[in-house]
Amino acid sequence: MTVINKDLCIGCKICQKYCTVDAFVYDKEEKKMRVDQDRCTECYVCLRQKVCPRDAIKPVELDNFYKQFQHVLSDPVENHGVTGVTGRGTEEVKTNDVSGRVKKGQVGICIDMGRPGMGVYLRDAEKVAMACAEAGVELASQVHTPLAALMPDLTTGKLVDECLGYHLLSVIVEGNCQAEELKQVLQALKKVSKEIDTVFSLGLIVRTDENGETEALSCLDELGIPQPHRGKVNVGLGKPLTLA
Amino acid sequence: MTHSLHRSGPIESQKKDFNWFMYQTKGVNDVNIKPKALEFIAVAEAAGSENWGDVKSGPKTQYPVEYIKDHISDKSRLRGVFTKRDQVVDFLTQIKAKDLGLSVVITGVLEEVLPACKEAEVIPHSINYSLGVWGKTENLPDETTLSITTMCGHHMIPPKFVEHMIDQVKKGKLTEDQAAIKLCNFCYCGIFNQIRCAEIISDVVKKDK
Repeated sequence: MTVINKDLCIGCKICQKYCTVDAFVYDKEEKKMRVDQDRCTECYVCLRQKVCPRDAIKPVELDNFYKQFQHVLSDPVENHGVTGVTGRGTEEVKTNDVSGRVKKGQVGICIDMGRPGMGVYLRDAEKVAMACAEAGVELASQVHTPLAALMPDLTTGKLVDECLGYHLLSVIVEGNCQAEELKQVLQALKKVSKEIDTVFSLGLIVRTDENGETEALSCLDELGIPQPHRGKVNVGLGKPLTLA
Repeated sequence: MTHSLHRSGPIESQKKDFNWFMYQTKGVNDVNIKPKALEFIAVAEAAGSENWGDVKSGPKTQYPVEYIKDHISDKSRLRGVFTKRDQVVDFLTQIKAKDLGLSVVITGVLEEVLPACKEAEVIPHSINYSLGVWGKTENLPDETTLSITTMCGHHMIPPKFVEHMIDQVKKGKLTEDQAAIKLCNFCYCGIFNQIRCAEIISDVVKKDK
């Protein structure tokens, strides 16, 4: 974890400008900073940017699996141990031309929990994962996505209780549904979005026709969800190309 | 990871913001990628990529290009920024001709990206569509701050630092270009668009004058 060496801290508060989740707290009585351990995501931005003029911010060994998980998912420089991918450890649409993870007739659900910038307690990620599973999403296994390592039963989306209090900068809830199930999945997400104490950014991964178009998003109009104007386009140059 | 997908700000501003990605697939084409990566970089630079980097080394705004190239490994992920549709067309045309076999992704406003694909004669295979932000959006920072912080999708840019940089420009202690580079250096992937960032800061400062 990240801590303040109070012998070195002069309470100048410079570190507050550099924290991604406002975890540096000024202690008025001591006139020193402290790290709110409940909020800190171990993203290490403060350490990497060397923000403290007195070098009072110190990393302490991450001494359990959940702290390490928290750090690896919050610091994009790290590779996730199982998926081997940096960032939040998943390849999603970026290699779909080769991996074929999302096939024709399917929709990939890619939920960036805590994005943009609010962070996410895993208890909220669990709520969203469980809502997805109940609505028919087949959640991705840990071969593909890190969160599944905390999910003993992919059919429910329930996470292990020990992890629920950990705060991450972001984590992705990921899975596939059939195109005809998308409407009910979006309805479930609308409902659960009112039950969480953070935000998520939602991505839908679709195999498109050769003009980059799809019928799969027609249900958005029925649900009053604006058609998307941004997209991440895999242009199909990877080999061997999958046509599924 | 969808760290380039969910950018905010006015659409016209987003239309000057494209990200390119080179991706190897684990267990399929992820061995000895360096020679291909160097060809990618050469094509991207020739097309006018304003920023690029490798998350394992950092962005070219902060580290020498040769240092980043020397440190490319099979774990590297190369990404960068274009600011014009023509650059995307040029890049895709040249990369297609190289036939390197690695996955290529372009993120941006679809009414810009899809015509660029057509012009370059590449066929979209899959798209990750952004459906925006859901949940407690009332707790998010203001739209100007978000339009800058979301250019680092891993959220390495603290909102308070954005406010600080804008304040420094208002006080004449930094130019908007200098502030944009300082913000850019938080984003290790090289996908932060420092040109767009400087424009956003400039607009805010003008508005407040």
